[in-house]
Amino acid sequence: MTRVESAKQRWGPRIERLGRGWDRFTQHLMGPAGLLILTVFTLWALFPDLFAPHSIDWEAFRGEPPFQRRLTAQEIEQLPHPPAFGDPFFAPLGTNAQAHGIASLLVYSAQTALYIGLAAGILSSLVGVPLGLISGYYGDTWIDETIQRIADIMLGLPFLPLVIVLVAMRGITTTNIILAIVVKSWINNCITIRGEALSLKELAYVDSAKVAGASDTRIVFRHILPHVLPLSFVFLAQDAAFAILTQASLAFLGLADFTTASWGLMLQNIQSHGYVFQAWWWLLPPGICITLVAAAFYFIGFSMEDVANPQN
Amino acid sequence: MTRISAKYLAQRLIISYLTILVIMTLLFVLLHSMPGSFIQTMQSPDMTGEQIERLKEQWGLNEPLWKQYVDFMVNYQTGEFGWSPHWNVPVWNLIERRLPRTVILFGATTITGFMIGPLVGMYLGWWRGTKRDRSIFTGGLIAYSLPSFWIAWLFIWLFSFELDLLPAKYMRTQFPQEVYGTGFEWTAMMAMRDVLWHLALPLLSLTAIGWVGSMLIMRTVMQNVTEQDYVFLARAKGLSERKVMIKHAARNALIPVATGAIVGIAFILDGAVVIENVFNYPGMGNLILDSVLNNDHPTTQAVFFMLAVLLVICRIIQDIAYTYLDPRIKFGEEES
Repeated sequence: MTRVESAKQRWGPRIERLGRGWDRFTQHLMGPAGLLILTVFTLWALFPDLFAPHSIDWEAFRGEPPFQRRLTAQEIEQLPHPPAFGDPFFAPLGTNAQAHGIASLLVYSAQTALYIGLAAGILSSLVGVPLGLISGYYGDTWIDETIQRIADIMLGLPFLPLVIVLVAMRGITTTNIILAIVVKSWINNCITIRGEALSLKELAYVDSAKVAGASDTRIVFRHILPHVLPLSFVFLAQDAAFAILTQASLAFLGLADFTTASWGLMLQNIQSHGYVFQAWWWLLPPGICITLVAAAFYFIGFSMEDVANPQN
Repeated sequence: MTRISAKYLAQRLIISYLTILVIMTLLFVLLHSMPGSFIQTMQSPDMTGEQIERLKEQWGLNEPLWKQYVDFMVNYQTGEFGWSPHWNVPVWNLIERRLPRTVILFGATTITGFMIGPLVGMYLGWWRGTKRDRSIFTGGLIAYSLPSFWIAWLFIWLFSFELDLLPAKYMRTQFPQEVYGTGFEWTAMMAMRDVLWHLALPLLSLTAIGWVGSMLIMRTVMQNVTEQDYVFLARAKGLSERKVMIKHAARNALIPVATGAIVGIAFILDGAVVIENVFNYPGMGNLILDSVLNNDHPTTQAVFFMLAVLLVICRIIQDIAYTYLDPRIKFGEEES
């Protein structure tokens, strides 16, 4: 048998399985729609200078830095400026009260949102999935009992107040916001993965692996983990969406990292400057972006669920 | 009808009590691991070292850590929450007035959310795979992704600024004498109507995102339930579709909704914290933010504790509701 053939034999079924999964994923428009939205935001995050009309330091009337002059009183009175196309400057979504272009801020903020979402999602999976697997595999022993008691107590804690206290305590930085979110969001993963592991470990193939002399670690991570991976991706996507929304809420409450541009911070700014009901071009776009990126993660998560549970 | 035994209830209460103890310990550790102490916010630059020492002595910060811990545990369990350095009143005075307000908002939303969510979820699960199911489900997910404060702003803009229908701020009419003429006195009916009137917009914005959680669970379970034999049997008996859906399918699908309810309830409580700040609603969410931003540790601690206790109480109610819903479960009774 040639090498090509053996590789074909080895990879053929896997590719076929991936194809079937993709078919189920694309059965409804939701999954592809989520992917499309996410792709756009990822492109924004990776190449902001290609999509943004100006650099992030651009200011209305004065253009790109270095600035030659100060804003005149007359110009300041015109801020926040509604969308303008060429006269007196080009800003497709208008400007905010500090003369920054809304469209540019939107594009440059995509990085923060995706970073917070993915980091929180991946971190809570890294904590929740192994703990859930261990808890489920050693079901009904003291290990399981301990992990489940901790999860149980954490589940009863009010999430947002906890995050508020943690962030206010440790300092308002993006990293601290992510960590504070992860403190709570691993629990859902852990509980669901535990349930899956509990039923998986009763299956015959686990017994045969045991008879073959596999260690507990090997059984858990080689034989059980692959079966719960699709499910853990579902939770990763949901945690990511939830983290982005939490960051927006924190920003609204005044607990945003003021050094990085983010959609939540834009909304906090409109409130602190008091233009919530006067400047629709400033109010609507950041909210729509937050909704879209969170919805994209939820869409992908729920379409993944169809892939993970093919019986429906 | 009662399936709940005294033994089960006692068991739940003990577990809840232990949970509260653990939460208190966690809270103590959390606030004592904070860099610096809240005394720093009270001292002015021209204070002598002696004065600072006296301040520390007054707030009990010179005691050994274990004694502080014991004091804290004993005080909290006897309803002694300490003194707020920022508002300069006992913390309990603040909480006593604000807790009922939050319970009104949070309780009302929980009720509306858990009425709408499972109902919509029931129909969606029943119509699974249809176009209607897909579009309402997608709409629900989008609602779930809305930042709560942003949608509240949009509602305020629409109902309060454009249509001028509903008030956008506070919990009651401020200065009613100016609105209704001098010599105005609150009557109980008037006050209730006024509170409900002001509750409308916060309730609407909170329900707009709060109903989705229970809908998602209900829909998934309902999809599985409709494949079950007993649903087939109920149809074969000649019952109407409606009766099969509500009496046979939905009743069973409600059980997982009840077990998972605490997640949705906690989500609504989080929303309430944000929404209170949008509407200047003088509740616990407003208080915790003010005290956090003003470094008022005793108040932060107490508010956090009360919110946690609120969730623990919801948990007990959830467990009781669960035993009523599931006829197969008999907790705490002798097995025969």
